Amino acid sequence: MLEGMYAAAAGMAAQQQQIDAIGNDLANASTTGYKAERVGFRDLLYNQIDQAGTTTSAGAGAAAQVMGANQAQGAVQSTGDPLDLAIEGPGYFTVKRADGSTALTRDGAFEVDAQGRMSTAEGDLVQPPITLPKGVSPSEIAIAPDGKVTGPAGRAIGQITLVEVASPDHLLAASGSLLTTNAASGAPRPLATAKIQQGALEGSNVDTATEMVKMISTQRSYQLESSAIQDENQMLSIANQLRS
Amino acid sequence: MDLGLFIAASGMVAEQTRQDQLSNDLANASTPGYKPDATPQQSFGEILLRNSATGRTIGSLNTGVALGKTYTDMAPAGMQSTGEPLDFGIVGTGFFGVQTPEGTRYTRDGQFTTSAQGLLVTATGQNVLNQSGTPIKVAADGTVPASALGVFNVPGAVKQGENLFAGTAATGASGAGGSSGALGTVRQGVLEESGVNPTTAMVEMVGSLRTFQSGQQAIQAIDQTLQAAATQVGSMNGSS
Repeated sequence: MLEGMYAAAAGMAAQQQQIDAIGNDLANASTTGYKAERVGFRDLLYNQIDQAGTTTSAGAGAAAQVMGANQAQGAVQSTGDPLDLAIEGPGYFTVKRADGSTALTRDGAFEVDAQGRMSTAEGDLVQPPITLPKGVSPSEIAIAPDGKVTGPAGRAIGQITLVEVASPDHLLAASGSLLTTNAASGAPRPLATAKIQQGALEGSNVDTATEMVKMISTQRSYQLESSAIQDENQMLSIANQLRS
Repeated sequence: MDLGLFIAASGMVAEQTRQDQLSNDLANASTPGYKPDATPQQSFGEILLRNSATGRTIGSLNTGVALGKTYTDMAPAGMQSTGEPLDFGIVGTGFFGVQTPEGTRYTRDGQFTTSAQGLLVTATGQNVLNQSGTPIKVAADGTVPASALGVFNVPGAVKQGENLFAGTAATGASGAGGSSGALGTVRQGVLEESGVNPTTAMVEMVGSLRTFQSGQQAIQAIDQTLQAAATQVGSMNGSS
């Protein structure tokens, strides 16, 4: 009897996690390079009850987990800023954070710092470093789809290298739009064919309409599970009133 | 003691089990490839009553409700389009094969991801198998063709939690994934919905609750009869 209550409560906790993911997605519906979260549900262990030779079983509810991100391409929006880069297809930019560690990102809204180095808005430097020579303004540089950076009169400045990992779903979200690699995601390796578009940014791939529909269905499931708890409670109360 | 008390109580116990299963079904209303459970209720053996003096048969009496073996409704559910390259659904009755430390297990939940080794894995990190029972490599572009996934025929599969089923795949009868076979076609970018129909589950829940309540009322009625027997039989003028 109480098992059913706990099963429904576990289901509510799972739906809560889904709501959290939807909330996060909706909050990032306009974040450059953001990828919507993928939530996976699963059932839990089954309790076998042997009664008079036959086996009945009752489950322990459900659990949810974030399985990673929807890797679909976000819409590429033209901005005209020469340091805005959008990745078309797979791949990540590598940046070096203030603490010396590296991180990956698909947010290509770069700028140049006081020393002429290309960095993110937070000041994390692009890796390998790209330094604009003195006197060259950002509007004079050209970045080819393969990442080659050239200055005025075709002068080579550097190369932006895109990387990929074996399992993008296991990248961990760090501060801002940065992602960090770990054992589960695999080490970063150079991407074979990079495709970078200069003067554009990749939008968030969150589809607001889908998220709203998911929210409604999640909320209803949550409600149904709470009525299951109420029903079980009512049954216990009836059992308690057997001698009245 | 009156047999009716135990008959009514057995009915209440059966409804409790039903309620627990319905709660679990509702908890899994969003679990891809989930299959709802049911436990049939059947009557215990009947007793034939006869008059001990004349030997004349009076009739039969049921002795309550017994629970049968839990069965899982394996009917395929609808496919929901997700557009995810690593979401798969089997249109048909076959299963995906999964490599677990306990041996090969089967699942209808095709929500997969990539491991650090570049293999197709389940949400809990277990390798998904192809038709010949070996792990599947994810291509450089992060996709796997639907035809690479194995579809297994697992008659009498038993649920064991974590979206997995235990059982033995029947050999020879398996239809290859991607091609149209008797056991199903693998489709990419879709997930099989949970087999739970929330409306039916809620209606069953209310019905079960009321049946439970009827059992309680029956017990109370019998209790009152017994009380009358204990206090009023033999008292003068019918007063207790």
